[in-house]
Amino acid sequence: MFSDLHPKFTSDFTLKGADRKCCRCELTPTGVKMSAAFRELSARFPALSPVGLISLPQMNHPVKCFSVGRWMSHTQTGSNVRPLEGVRVLDLTRVLAGPFATMILGDLGAEVIKVERPGAGDDTRGWGPPFVASQSLYYLSVNRNKKSIAVDLKHPRGAAVIQELARVCDVLIENYIPGKLQHMGFGYEQLSQVNPQLIYCSISGYGQTGPRSQSPGYDSIASAVSGMMHITGPENGEPVRPGVAMTDLATGLYAHGAVMAALLQRHRTGRGLHIDCNLLSSQVSCLSHIAANYLNAGQEARRWGTAHESIVPYQAFRTKDGAIVVAATNNRQFVQVCEVLELMTLTEHPNYKSNKLRVQHRKQLLHTLSQRFVQRDTADWLQRFEGSGVPVGPINSIQEVFADPQVSACSAQSSTHCSFSCPPWSTVHLLQSDLELPACSS
Amino acid sequence: MILGDLGAEVIKVERPGAGDDTRGWGPPFVASQSLYYLSVNRNKKSIAVDLKHPRGAAVIQELARVCDVLIENYIPGKLQHMGFGYEQLSQVNPQLIYCSISGYGQTGPRSQSPGYDSIASAVSGMMHITGPENGEPVRPGVAMTDLATGLYAHGAVMAALLQRHRTGRGLHIDCNLLSSQVSCLSHIAANYLNAGQEARRWGTAHESIVPYQAFRTKDGAIVVAATNNRQFVQVCEVLELMTLTEHPNYKSNKLRVQHRKQLLHTLSQRFVQRDTADWLQRFEGSGVPVGPINSIQEVFADPQVNHNGLIQQMIHPTAGSIMVPGPAVRFSSFPPSGPVPPPLIGQHTVQVLRDILSYSDDIINKLLQSGAVAQNEVS
Repeated sequence: MFSDLHPKFTSDFTLKGADRKCCRCELTPTGVKMSAAFRELSARFPALSPVGLISLPQMNHPVKCFSVGRWMSHTQTGSNVRPLEGVRVLDLTRVLAGPFATMILGDLGAEVIKVERPGAGDDTRGWGPPFVASQSLYYLSVNRNKKSIAVDLKHPRGAAVIQELARVCDVLIENYIPGKLQHMGFGYEQLSQVNPQLIYCSISGYGQTGPRSQSPGYDSIASAVSGMMHITGPENGEPVRPGVAMTDLATGLYAHGAVMAALLQRHRTGRGLHIDCNLLSSQVSCLSHIAANYLNAGQEARRWGTAHESIVPYQAFRTKDGAIVVAATNNRQFVQVCEVLELMTLTEHPNYKSNKLRVQHRKQLLHTLSQRFVQRDTADWLQRFEGSGVPVGPINSIQEVFADPQVSACSAQSSTHCSFSCPPWSTVHLLQSDLELPACSS
Repeated sequence: MILGDLGAEVIKVERPGAGDDTRGWGPPFVASQSLYYLSVNRNKKSIAVDLKHPRGAAVIQELARVCDVLIENYIPGKLQHMGFGYEQLSQVNPQLIYCSISGYGQTGPRSQSPGYDSIASAVSGMMHITGPENGEPVRPGVAMTDLATGLYAHGAVMAALLQRHRTGRGLHIDCNLLSSQVSCLSHIAANYLNAGQEARRWGTAHESIVPYQAFRTKDGAIVVAATNNRQFVQVCEVLELMTLTEHPNYKSNKLRVQHRKQLLHTLSQRFVQRDTADWLQRFEGSGVPVGPINSIQEVFADPQVNHNGLIQQMIHPTAGSIMVPGPAVRFSSFPPSGPVPPPLIGQHTVQVLRDILSYSDDIINKLLQSGAVAQNEVS
């Protein structure tokens, strides 16, 4: 049956002389990826599941690939198709990193089943104020597009429910202390026995193995241990943490990508795998040049307030009534800054001819620029910088953020700010994913 | 870079001469290579192509036909003007996944503004909420807005690849710094949108969880995160302040948030009595998340950081042995492979023209002579 659909394929379902310059149909000798729904169906009706049949929701007549005539199957031409439709995620995560990742997967069309312990449920349900009709806004902000099931994993019959769900899910995401789920019978090795296609994504504080693997992980701690806190704060002041849990969020972002990488890999291999995401690794990886400076040049990092170690001028300047942030990252932009500030003599100064030199002589240059910036209001400067090609901006409060026309314009009000009704309150405004995946027909 | 780590073949297009701006960012440099550039460009090939030269543009057109994904961060409209917009390229390659990264979005009132992390951090509210409790705003010490956008983008590209399996077609993705950071405001934003609560700076503390912050110790600081009642009781146990667990004002997180000043004062007074190392040891096995505020040196001396393979070493053709922070995610299906060092500008121009576009030596030489492309002396 499969070869009827794909006449150019050999009987073992590999593309003949696959030309990687054209089609990227990733088919394997064992057949294509079967969605959880199809697996469930075929488990009940074995006669319907010849090897290699594309899962039912996806199956359709093939169309000619536009470039060189290879055959591929496809469904409707992309109007409102979401990438992860048909993917079922068993979500055993709590707090932020995991729920943030599964929220994005839900935004992309996956069916997310959030498992919570009966009673309190996800810790964040209790985090506040503020609450809205006794619902924690912290919880609400990162849990849309999910179903919640309350299951006691320690109850034998609750455990059995989870076992059965794991069989019919494509992805399991968890953030337990490493080893804990294994102890309960839900480890990767155990579940992959009954569901070899399961993509098992573990999120932890420090990693699945190693000296710290048993330490509970939270953003604030990971931020401190990973060096993030050390590098954030006023130039001559104490360390602070980023105002929102960027370590947690970065981990969630790494995880959502890793899950999709695993889904892509499964198209080729037909098998699942185990993913190790953790707060420490996510944040240390994100140290990027800060880390490279230390590892290669022995240069310890320090705090810079709003400024940048390697780029000048790149910081906030006090204005008459507040502050403006300016980012002149190359010579062209620096010249334009001087033009707007009416300080063209600076462009001739030998000490400021390149970024490297500006970094070297930063104190003097920044002093000169600061003295000029403080002479006008923020709004005045913003207007003067319009069209200059220099990145500038105000330090917006949250109110100012959501009054910004671009914030609402991003996808005409629906991308960054959507409102809908859910029980028991009247309207809740939540942030929708920043991704736009326009329909192919547009 | 992450896509390269996951096995993709990444062809980095740079303008002949200066190349990627970050090649000039420093000090520090290593053998005249910018460490900023080196830290985020492994596992890629570099071709030096002048997009404004007609023959250079033709090279890009041909490459776009045989690539799965195109990622760009030009000012919206600019590539279209040069003939490389999504609508144009998808005509010749309908499977092309075209991911645009910009400061503010592909359309809208700010779409033409150049976007950089510092500005986006300010405009999106991130700077407003970061800094000492009674001090000025600061930016996160590394460009988390940029990085979050890159992370959203790498996921989006893979989502699009998954979608292409079903539809057979590519699509256009709009990632931008503003949206990435505003989305990441999560509860901070929800607090404002629903309860009208403006955010403020909290230093190392947390608005909705107490105690969750750094405390001064005798010789430095320790960060403690007691996020539920069980952990709070354990903190009191380690601090030998069990009476606090009986105090009606501290019975739940909600109450602890309400009476934070008093509670934090009591805890602070105790923390300052011992060294950081002493407290860390006492908290071992307590189940309470705690940690020191590590310098970068301390980070890379940490045994877990080393265990996680976060120091990735490779040999660069001119800078010699270099080390960069390694990939964050481990997959059971493949080991973190030997990385390819960040390329010199135009290091792979000839290789790509020959192996991917099948150009003859003659054509390649003509292109080099015309200045449309350039090849580094190292290949």
